[in-house]
Amino acid sequence: MKDDSALTLRIENATKSFAGVTVLNDVSFDLKKGEVHALLGENGAGKSTLIKILSGVHLPDRGKIILENREHVFNSPKDAFKNGIATVYQELLVFPELTVAENIFLGHTPKRHGFLIDWKKIKSDARKILDNLDSHDLDVDARVGSLSVANRQRVEIAKALSQKTKVLIMDEPTAALADTDVRRLITVVKRLKEQGVSILYVSHKMPEIFEIADKVSVLRDGNHVGTFDILDVTEDLLVSKMVGRSVDKLYPSSKGSHGTPILEVSDLSDGVRFSNASFILHRGEILGIAGVVGSGRSELAQTIFGINSSKSGSIKVDGRKVLIKKPRDARNLGIAYIPEDRGTQGLVKEMKISQNISMANLDREARGILILSQQEILNAMNAIKKIGIRARSAVQVVRQLSGGNQQKVVVAKWLQTEPRILVMDEPTRGIDVGAKAEIHALMRDLADQGMAILMISSELPEVLGMSDRVLVMNAGQIKAEFSKDQATPENVGAIMTEKVEEVA
Amino acid sequence: MRVLIRHESILLLVVIIALFTLSIQAEQFATIENLLNQGRFLTEVSLVALIMTFVIVTGGIDLSVGSILGLSAIILGVAWKKMGLPLPVAIGVALSVGTLAGLFNGIIITRFRVPPLIATLATLALYRGLAEGISQARSIRGYPDWFFILGQGELLGVPTQLWIVAFFTIFTGFILGYTTWGRATYAIGANEIAARFSGIAVNKTKLFIYSASGFAAALAGVIFVSRVSTTRSDMGMGLELDAITAVVLGGTSIFGGKGTIIGTVFGLLLIQTLKNGLSLAGVKSDGTYVAIGFVLILTLLISNLFNRSSEG
Repeated sequence: MKDDSALTLRIENATKSFAGVTVLNDVSFDLKKGEVHALLGENGAGKSTLIKILSGVHLPDRGKIILENREHVFNSPKDAFKNGIATVYQELLVFPELTVAENIFLGHTPKRHGFLIDWKKIKSDARKILDNLDSHDLDVDARVGSLSVANRQRVEIAKALSQKTKVLIMDEPTAALADTDVRRLITVVKRLKEQGVSILYVSHKMPEIFEIADKVSVLRDGNHVGTFDILDVTEDLLVSKMVGRSVDKLYPSSKGSHGTPILEVSDLSDGVRFSNASFILHRGEILGIAGVVGSGRSELAQTIFGINSSKSGSIKVDGRKVLIKKPRDARNLGIAYIPEDRGTQGLVKEMKISQNISMANLDREARGILILSQQEILNAMNAIKKIGIRARSAVQVVRQLSGGNQQKVVVAKWLQTEPRILVMDEPTRGIDVGAKAEIHALMRDLADQGMAILMISSELPEVLGMSDRVLVMNAGQIKAEFSKDQATPENVGAIMTEKVEEVA
Repeated sequence: MRVLIRHESILLLVVIIALFTLSIQAEQFATIENLLNQGRFLTEVSLVALIMTFVIVTGGIDLSVGSILGLSAIILGVAWKKMGLPLPVAIGVALSVGTLAGLFNGIIITRFRVPPLIATLATLALYRGLAEGISQARSIRGYPDWFFILGQGELLGVPTQLWIVAFFTIFTGFILGYTTWGRATYAIGANEIAARFSGIAVNKTKLFIYSASGFAAALAGVIFVSRVSTTRSDMGMGLELDAITAVVLGGTSIFGGKGTIIGTVFGLLLIQTLKNGLSLAGVKSDGTYVAIGFVLILTLLISNLFNRSSEG
């Protein structure tokens, strides 16, 4: 078989600029039939722009899209979809009030007599597609709003496959998924590959890329750094290609010594999502909590921080029993919480960097109720320098920053309150490798200076790499504690996912 | 911020054009006497609209202000005439009742999580009903002369109530623009969850703002009674719409998070200019309303157009 006959999609010299800034510069690569092609790059490297060009959202300034030996110009997403290029975006576009079947066929509903909706066909076709995705448990009549994130994503994928799809683009499909759901998704991707669908797979997560990808293309600052056969590269190599320098160590090393207890939680329960949580956090230590989404880990953290109230149990800070009724109480005790969802919980994105950074501490920085705006901007400028936020100025609107820099703004906001206990919930979710390494280094720095850090993460490598001790949560309980030496992926992973299969 | 300033400059331009055109169209319009007199009419809606700016910036709305005005006016009359309280005490009672009515709105909205539109739509009916029940459809007259200073008198050649409006404007402008309270108001409107996670007392702030809205409506009620020398239960009907129109015209986003006091002031000026100027120029009141609606849509469209081009 000649190589070219297996070619599905070719991108030639794609170039795109916005307002004079080139975000994609002369990018070319091929996608073969039944190939899983990973697309790697830091935020802002041009991945999204490339995806949007392929899916018809943007027209390239220059360059060609060749699909099965024919050149195409996609003027709209519908255009691309009709020609067999479907995209599953990170932010799912499903309609929560409609059923699974309705969502799958939205926009190209099968009709009878030209205008009547053929409900029978919709349902049976939806069923067929879902079965094909190994989702026999998903009810086609269920309202999509009632489904879990993983199931909604399956609906999106089913929708993408409801027409003859040749190329499926997946934009960070596992960013919001728990580990067990990631496994299922990977199975689905493998199955689609067997059926001859070409998949362009965008992800920051190296393990899954090495598991499913055949080829990997790396973008940096809008340029195509290279396309590699997955068998020829290592993780370190890919990371260095992405960031343009070598990252010596993935995780900074710990000094291994820590101080006296600062936070003692005993038998804490919220009566719903977690119960009888007990642990001690020491000064200068990073204590990891490993657990999947829904294990009660965020609820535990939010109860300590005063967002939710506790039913029973006690919290001690510096050996003294405290009552935390609201976030302000927690802050006044020196507790900071960096939430898991920076978009809705962490930031007011329409506001300036300076206004976000001062938000948790403004009452202390103000003279009475008067905001000292010079001081506010000065503080922000200091924080930007200290934490390495890449921004045009301290008064730039947060929305314009990349994910990693937004996350740094949240961190800066809480460091402004001079906390002694820092609770970080998924501190590096959905941010690129470079920013991730910077946040990890910062965490270790802070711990070395005596900060007590409680880190929640569902990413096993992060928990194991960063933590001095690891607690494992599952189904609302702290199931186990491991020292750094005992914490292996097998030990921790087994307890994290134990019995969870039944629930799904 | 540049975007906001841009909306307000456009608005100021429209106000100036309106003033200029109308002073040519109607001779009586651009006289000091007329303009000051218009200020009197503008007082009640201004007091309400200034606080309404805060309410809308938090992403809420207060439809009950007109009814609170009516209720407070009736309480003032009943407390003074029927219950025989001294007038200053009766004024105090009226202001307290209005504030409590606002607080009650706030409680329904924060404690029971009822959307502000629904909550205040309900209390709009409730408070108006109470006002009518208490008044028994009878108006109260015969207030002592000193009371009319508030609504009909002058201080240094300027109507008394305009001094109150001026004070209110500067005070609210300062609070919204330069203080931690104002910042909390914006943060709540732009992202309530993030505000809460940042330790901002979201519910307390909202309770305070809705109470202030009730107080402003009650104060407007007292001034209204003083201006027209009588108390009736239908006072302030439709006031909420005038106030909301002025606030939105002033560039405050109905979705919250954006808006300024100066914008609201321009919005108020534009509406009153059109109302008075057009009627002096011989346009009937229905025509005036059409014109106001038209200007509202046009201003927002132009402002949107500019904002979009500055983004992309």
